[in-house]
Amino acid sequence: MGLVPESEALQMIKMTLAGLFSTLILISGCATATNEASTDPAAGDEFAAAWDAADAKRQEAAAVGYEWRDTSKMLKKAKTEAEAGNTEAAMKLVAKAHEESADAIEQEARESTLWQSRVPQ
Amino acid sequence: MRKLIVAMTATLMAFGGLALQASPESDRAAFEKYFTDRFKDTPKDDFINGVYSIDAASREQWVEIEEFAPYELSIDAGKAEFEKPFANGKGYGDCFENGGAVRGMYPYWDADRKEVITMELAINECREANGEEPIKYSKGKMADISAYMSFLSRGQLIEVVVPDDPDALAAYERGKEFYYRKRGQLNFSCFDCHGGGSGNLVRADKLSPALGHTSHFPVYRSKWGGMGTLHRRFGGCNRQVRAASFKSQSQIYRELEYFLTYMSNGLAFNGPGARK
Ligand code: HEC
Repeated sequence: MGLVPESEALQMIKMTLAGLFSTLILISGCATATNEASTDPAAGDEFAAAWDAADAKRQEAAAVGYEWRDTSKMLKKAKTEAEAGNTEAAMKLVAKAHEESADAIEQEARESTLWQSRVPQ
Repeated sequence: MRKLIVAMTATLMAFGGLALQASPESDRAAFEKYFTDRFKDTPKDDFINGVYSIDAASREQWVEIEEFAPYELSIDAGKAEFEKPFANGKGYGDCFENGGAVRGMYPYWDADRKEVITMELAINECREANGEEPIKYSKGKMADISAYMSFLSRGQLIEVVVPDDPDALAAYERGKEFYYRKRGQLNFSCFDCHGGGSGNLVRADKLSPALGHTSHFPVYRSKWGGMGTLHRRFGGCNRQVRAASFKSQSQIYRELEYFLTYMSNGLAFNGPGARK
């Protein structure tokens, strides 16, 4: 990081860590599920559905001007991983992309009122 | 984008009483005071020099750099381009008065088109009206032409007008709202860094105050190894908080420029500039 005032940076790191942690929990859940499914021919369908849902969320965030920088890269990478047969890695990326778009949409809603508190009076 | 605007308009309407009560002029006065109070040693007119207006140490280096200004080549290239006739025999001089020294007119609200017109947009519209292909907005030829025109216009006052027109006011308000909204994975607003964070150290560099922020573009940035327009900088600042950026000259960036330039009314245009 480093582009932010010291105290805010610390606070942000804490928030990011908390975010990462919850993502990890979420992902590990998914990972176990996909491990079991990976020998199943339905795994491809499952991935496609999850990918579509994540991309729809990304578009929802973009429509309100709040897409995050790396979400579409993540989704692209997920496709490459899936094509290479790395279903587990692919599903992890999709879950992360989905979650960050949901966060972005929440952020937009929160900011629709909060921004006013920052305007110098 | 359209949805963003609809959403923002809805927000504005919901808080209409609150948000619209403040006039652009009272916003500007409070904005200016915020920075002149925060940086008491900086004369108001010096804020156009960005971080160098608040940081004596880096200012020395910058004054030296300005002696062999890295944007000189860009001004020369822009002059050559400006003077080169289009295929139809006309040129930029037929679109822009005063030999191109028109920086002080932009950005402005076009009441017929109901949108903000920036100088770079006008440059491309001049090309297209004369049968030329539009050029890319962020750097290269566009930055050169803009650098030349800005150089000719040095010293012109920033005097952006928000006319008494609900559409113009709404455009200004959208730019303002964009400026104060946190966004991206890192959850920062422009003002978090360039207002509340201004003067704070970021690794070895200080964050510049937002007052005067749009005066000196386009800029030669050593980090870019070349010239870039104001909207290139907007995109970079959006991405560094890990938000997706918007296109140069998109409606929202033009409205952001409209708001942010208005905040510096009364200061002077001094582009092109040099920055780290
Ligand atoms: C995480 C902190 C951060 C955020 C948020 C941020 N910027 Fe920046 N910005 C920087 C840094 C760092 C620089 C380069 C050093 C400086 O001049 O402040 C910079 C430079 C700039 C400059 C050029 C200043 C000059 O003198 O050349 C402009 C204009 C600018 N930012 C506008 C914006 C806008 C508009 C936003 C919101 C869309 C924004 N910034 C959000 C960190 C930030």
